[in-house]
Amino acid sequence: MTLVHNWHLGRTMEYPFFESRPKQQFAAVFNINRCIACQTCTMAHKSTWTYSKGQEYMWWNNVETKPYGGYPQQWDHKILQLLWDNGNNPMEWYTSSEDKKETTAPYGLYNGDTIFELAQTKGLNQMAVGYIPDDKEWRFPNIYEDTAASEKVNYETQAVSEYSELPEHKRWFFYLQRLCNHCTYPACLAACPRKAIYKRKEDGIVLIDQKRCRGYRKCVEQCPYKKPMYRGETRMSEKCIACFPRVEGKDPLTKGRRMEARCMAACVGKIRLNGLITGDYKKPDPNNPIDWMVRIHKVALPLYPQFGTEPNIYYIPPRWAPRNYLRQMFGPGVDEAIEKYERPSRKLLAVLQLFRTTQTMMSRFEIENGKKIYETEVNGKKFEVYDDIVTGYAEDGTEVVRIKVEEPTWESDEKRMITY
Amino acid sequence: MLKDLFCISKVFASVLVALFFIHTGNVMSQGLEKEMSLEENIPTKDPLVVKRINSSIDDAEKAFGQVDPLKIELQIQDLAFPNGGGSVAELEVRGFHNGETIFFNLIWSDSTKNEKSITHAQFRDAVGLMFPIEIVKISPETPYSPRMGDRGKPVNIWHWKADWEKELATGYAHMEDEYPNMFTDFDFNPEPKQIQNELYNSTALMSGGIAAGSLLSKANRGSSVEDLNAIGFGTLTAQTHQDVKGKGSWVDGKWNVVVYRPMKTSDEFDTQFEPGMETYFNTAVWDGEEGDRNGLKSISVRWRPLKIE
Repeated sequence: MTLVHNWHLGRTMEYPFFESRPKQQFAAVFNINRCIACQTCTMAHKSTWTYSKGQEYMWWNNVETKPYGGYPQQWDHKILQLLWDNGNNPMEWYTSSEDKKETTAPYGLYNGDTIFELAQTKGLNQMAVGYIPDDKEWRFPNIYEDTAASEKVNYETQAVSEYSELPEHKRWFFYLQRLCNHCTYPACLAACPRKAIYKRKEDGIVLIDQKRCRGYRKCVEQCPYKKPMYRGETRMSEKCIACFPRVEGKDPLTKGRRMEARCMAACVGKIRLNGLITGDYKKPDPNNPIDWMVRIHKVALPLYPQFGTEPNIYYIPPRWAPRNYLRQMFGPGVDEAIEKYERPSRKLLAVLQLFRTTQTMMSRFEIENGKKIYETEVNGKKFEVYDDIVTGYAEDGTEVVRIKVEEPTWESDEKRMITY
Repeated sequence: MLKDLFCISKVFASVLVALFFIHTGNVMSQGLEKEMSLEENIPTKDPLVVKRINSSIDDAEKAFGQVDPLKIELQIQDLAFPNGGGSVAELEVRGFHNGETIFFNLIWSDSTKNEKSITHAQFRDAVGLMFPIEIVKISPETPYSPRMGDRGKPVNIWHWKADWEKELATGYAHMEDEYPNMFTDFDFNPEPKQIQNELYNSTALMSGGIAAGSLLSKANRGSSVEDLNAIGFGTLTAQTHQDVKGKGSWVDGKWNVVVYRPMKTSDEFDTQFEPGMETYFNTAVWDGEEGDRNGLKSISVRWRPLKIE
């Protein structure tokens, strides 16, 4: 085992391979506040890749309702329980200003054991802790859909609130959209005894080599997000491939330019933005929309960073859910992220307009300043909207999006209104 | 005289150092692969004698009755990650040849028959025989890794699988074997229920293991034994030319498996056998009920000598 730096955790950690970051990393930002669980993303991947024999139960992309849902059932409860069931593991974040460092420890320092370190502590003689979900647990991918965690009130003796208010709703649920995170330190890659899983140097996409896989299911066991899946028909495991032919620009629609993955492009609610960010986390590109949102503005956070795999799908947390639940799921950056999203800065409001405007991956954006057109107060602080124009550029410099922050409107002449 | 003493003391010192590492090896190495001990490269004493008997596969059982077995003690695999296995304590090996084909009989106790690999929890019962490819004399001075071979010291492995045995009799086990009432969106079996030619032609490309040409996903593979090579942990590779055949049955909590192959093959990656030769073999058993696969297996650590009459 070698020591590698995990910038989510703000420290070095044990991993079986040397730190070797890709030139660019496949990444995405999901705005949970916008998701309506229409499952179009789920159906997009299903009809593209997982419609064949043996793949019926597979949902490389899925949308589950939190807090009770999960695919496979209770996956996050089980892995959190595994991490908790060890007296030496305090699972604490240190977030004082001394613990935080700009690029190497932006969220502070995580003190608990990662899944790799816990396997060593427990003497498991394998790379990471984990479990293989039984066939039964892969059923009902939408279990507990729209089931809210209720107000902790005795309905017989106490009054139930009539409505919910921010900052935390009394009855709450939200949708969590998940796919393979194409982690920087994939547990599946570490787990495979045959090195049948590899991470591409050019775009950081993690793939299972179907020629080398022999169906040992160590990857299924040790991925904490449970995204490698065993295909009984072919006796080997499969996982999300990040639509790599599209990412390579092989789809004629985008004329050789990189294209977002299918689940990203299909999003009806416009919650997803997919692109390639810089491989070097110490040098984020402020002009790359995803790099900027994640590493500079810090409005998008990783999913369960405490597992220790450095996942590359980032989430803007739902602003109505209880904060401690969100901190467990996205780390201590939650409060800052929600504050930034609730009252977006001029730049963030502009970047948010880029979501789902095009299927081409954007590597750069620019803002053309306009006049101020609106002002109000949010949480007691000033919130301003400017009539800016945002432009998005593909990797080769072509302008692929030009959109206004304030949607242009047209008011009909009063005379044309018919009133009764 | 002094020079001799110096040489002896050098050897003595290095043996001391080696012994030191053997004893502390278990304490110091929390690594992925345990360091090889001196003992591992000392083959066991009692050989398996492969007699010459004029039988074929059809009356092999009678022939095996005429030879003495070699009882091999197995243990948990704790030499390389992932560790596991150890539920099978003993394997009985017998062998004979008829001048053209060499036959091995492997018998071990396994209270459950695991001959499917379809659901997440199903792992197959299996047994493996491993031979060095070249004719070698193995000792601590001339080591040949008894683990999975090593770089420059390749091994030939015959891997019998219980589900491959079942498929010889009943055909490839599709998903319906486990879930008979399931519905398939797009079927790529040669007689599809829905005739959608373009889709049928494209689904082979989308079929992972099948598109990759893996033997594991192949219907009608013609044998229950896989012919493989390895040069160390994690390098196991199926040969393009498959030469080994097998026959196995499970009766009253015991697997009785015969694996056989022409003594000479045209495959340069196969170990070649001939009457009168001496070589070595090693074994491993997988108990599917315990989730055995890959490194999770019951193994014999040291090479066993093989004498072919």
